[in-house]
Amino acid sequence: MTMTVSLNSKKDRFADQPNFSEKKDYRPADVKEKGLVFVGHEISDDRTAMNQFLHYDQLYTIRHGWNSKFFIGLLEGKIMGTRCPKCGDSWVPVRSHCWNLDCNLEKTEWVEMPLTAKVHTWTVAGWSGRSSLKRLPIILAYANIGTSKVAMANELHKMNPWDVEFGMPLKIVFKPRDQRVGAVTDFHFEPADFWKPSPMNPEKQRIKDLVMPVYEWVKTLK
Amino acid sequence: MSRKVCIVGGATTPFDYGPTGFESIEGGAAECIKETQQDVPEFSLRDLDLMIYSHFSVHFSHQLAPEWIIHDHLGLVGLPHYRVENGGNTGGSALYAAALAVMSGHHDVVGIVGWETMDSVSQSQGSEFIAMASDIRYELLVGGIYPIYYAAMANKWMKENHVTEEDVAIIAAKNKNNAMDNPKAQWYRNDHRYITVDDVMSSRLISYPIKKYDCCLMSRGVAFVLVCTEEYAKKVNPDQYVTIDGMGLSSCTIRAGDRLNNPTWNEHYGPGYPGMTEFAACRNSAEQAYKMAGIKDPLKDIDFGEIHDAFSTSEAQIYKALGLADEKTIAKFIRDERTSMQGDIPMNPGGGLLGYGHPVGATGLMSTVECYYQLAGMIPKKHLSKKTEVSEPECGIVNSHAGTGTSISNFILRRH
Repeated sequence: MTMTVSLNSKKDRFADQPNFSEKKDYRPADVKEKGLVFVGHEISDDRTAMNQFLHYDQLYTIRHGWNSKFFIGLLEGKIMGTRCPKCGDSWVPVRSHCWNLDCNLEKTEWVEMPLTAKVHTWTVAGWSGRSSLKRLPIILAYANIGTSKVAMANELHKMNPWDVEFGMPLKIVFKPRDQRVGAVTDFHFEPADFWKPSPMNPEKQRIKDLVMPVYEWVKTLK
Repeated sequence: MSRKVCIVGGATTPFDYGPTGFESIEGGAAECIKETQQDVPEFSLRDLDLMIYSHFSVHFSHQLAPEWIIHDHLGLVGLPHYRVENGGNTGGSALYAAALAVMSGHHDVVGIVGWETMDSVSQSQGSEFIAMASDIRYELLVGGIYPIYYAAMANKWMKENHVTEEDVAIIAAKNKNNAMDNPKAQWYRNDHRYITVDDVMSSRLISYPIKKYDCCLMSRGVAFVLVCTEEYAKKVNPDQYVTIDGMGLSSCTIRAGDRLNNPTWNEHYGPGYPGMTEFAACRNSAEQAYKMAGIKDPLKDIDFGEIHDAFSTSEAQIYKALGLADEKTIAKFIRDERTSMQGDIPMNPGGGLLGYGHPVGATGLMSTVECYYQLAGMIPKKHLSKKTEVSEPECGIVNSHAGTGTSISNFILRRH
């Protein structure tokens, strides 16, 4: 699916406006916008302290502007990076202007990156934010994608959390097209096909001992 | 020639999760100022000529410009005021702003009030709110909380510096146990127990190599610091003021992964630094502060510190960034417990973020207040015993730290 953008040429505007004809709404049924709603309160037995429960729900629009091609790329199963035409540095996550002070904010150009990466550093999470608890334990890897000078964080799947290695080769795997939303969670890392874990060692055993209770705890979550 | 800047008083509310006894932020601010006045009876609200407010996230209070509520509650209408926000380094940055105001000659007596009310949402929601200071387009969705980013940085740092989980557990136990001597500390008020390295090692996994007891506490709390000219300090509290002899503020990338191959750091410190492991903004701001204060050898010239131990691992990384040890010596430096109360450079005698708590906007000010108390000889009055009093300190360091090391300040305080 391609996105069509046509410029609005109405004479009564002083700036060209993009036209958004590809629209998608995948709001879950339980996400409502109600604004400010007081939903309850409690009062201490000595009636000196009151706590009030306020619910607030608000829709945000993230306008990706000059970074949009990266997020559109995700919908298409591509990793788009940017590159400075002057010094040649390239990045994922993208920069619309070069970071090198000698290049004086040179506008960058888009490059499609290969779907391969290399682990720079990693961790195994046994606790996370509210939105991620049920996915625990999570391996988070910072990896350099393609020629990128910087490392990007994402989840590493399809392996035991205790088997991760610094410098290990990765491939980038996208969710099925119909499940993508144009966010970094549309893809994750997996070990490269040719990679094999090293034998068990004391550090791996330590991580395994720390992680096993997390699997059990997650089962208790509603 | 800029003017000398002094700290002449300060106080915090108890830090806690849930009610602290002061049921509102403006009530807490008022009580901090009243406690300061008990220590410095000559200080009157009428002396203030600028108020700086130190607050991180309006998400927690669901109130924009909450400083306006505090300011008018304190009766300070007409007085200039503004808020400083700089992530976890909000307190340090507010202190920096207050010091600049006095240095410039434009203001003489500056009050700083800092606070955070992180118990207004659940712990996991609170973690996610804080993580909204990571890049929400790239990192929030996949990491979700700061301990995970810090764990990824620490995992590699520990390998490179031969520092083990047990080593950093020494730091976690030290700070929580120091907090047991401090009645305002959250660890004292809630968990209230002395812990061992084994307790830290067996606490639940947060993100390898960080476990529950390696992490700071999410808190509600308010703090106040009084910054002024030396002339005013001599007038109101001649025997108990300290000078800010050095200060530095520096910055780094929002996303930790963007520190690799960064051309500006490479130009400054050579290729490969800081990578994803070193806190370049800490090293850089410490160098500024040391130069200003004439510190040649921090390990010899500084007697103690109150530093930003959001995680036990970060305290270890900060030792190195402050120049207290290098790659070869850092593991031994930690194992020899050089930063315990019995060591040659005690760190976080007040409990730090691990023990006292971390209500973000108040945190850097809490560190400043604890450092001030040590230098002003007020620990016997403020702590439960002399166990956490540094012996005759002349010089202390205050460190405040934000993001994944994204903004960091350091201050050199000396007694007078």
